[in-house]
Amino acid sequence: MAETAPLPLDPRAVRLNEEADGRDDAIRRCGEVLVEVGAVEASYIDAMLERERSISTYVGEGVAIPHGTLVAKDAVHHDAICVLRFPGGVDWDGEQVAVCVGIAARGDGHIRLLSELAQILLEPEQAQALREATEVSDVIRLLQPSREEPSE
Amino acid sequence: MPERTVTVASRSGLHARPAKIFVQAVARQGTAVRIRVGDGKPVPANSMLAVLSLGAGHGTEVTLDADGPGAEEVLDSLADLLSRDLDAEEAPGA
Repeated sequence: MAETAPLPLDPRAVRLNEEADGRDDAIRRCGEVLVEVGAVEASYIDAMLERERSISTYVGEGVAIPHGTLVAKDAVHHDAICVLRFPGGVDWDGEQVAVCVGIAARGDGHIRLLSELAQILLEPEQAQALREATEVSDVIRLLQPSREEPSE
Repeated sequence: MPERTVTVASRSGLHARPAKIFVQAVARQGTAVRIRVGDGKPVPANSMLAVLSLGAGHGTEVTLDADGPGAEEVLDSLADLLSRDLDAEEAPGA
């Protein structure tokens, strides 16, 4: 494994059998995984929780995208995402979340990451495949940003 | 169809938080509003995923369109919302 990941999704940052005692616990788990892969400092986790209290990062299709506030950008070492699957589901202010995609991004990196992720999740079959993924390689394949670019 | 083109003013672009505020505002209008970037495909403005998929950053010009009674007013208020820095504001009614 190279020291820096060329893809924003490090295979080590994919966790398929997570359990969480509620929303904040799920966010903390995401933050811990981003810390483990060297993408962020631990202080980023508090920024993720703060962001969530400010406004929910639930985006639909059983997916939430916790990430830090703008102030926390300095706690980010490199752009990265993590994918945590919660087979038991997590209550997210009344929504059921099956997958958390935690995001760490400096500068404007998050715009591109979010856009790519949203385009993938807009396809219901792909969103379902992500919710039901049982192999890390499936998740990596689903979230490859550069599969088919729509012609401009 | 009435349209408004507006520059995204939020510092971080039209992403999670500003996008959510915008999508919630669209949902409250009860009018079908679409949003696009440049000549891109218009997407439903009341869908968080659709709005995020645009990848609109700070300073990106987006175009809103809507049809039906009250469309002009709805577009005015939504264009006004996008022209503000939503990262610096509390979510209205959230």
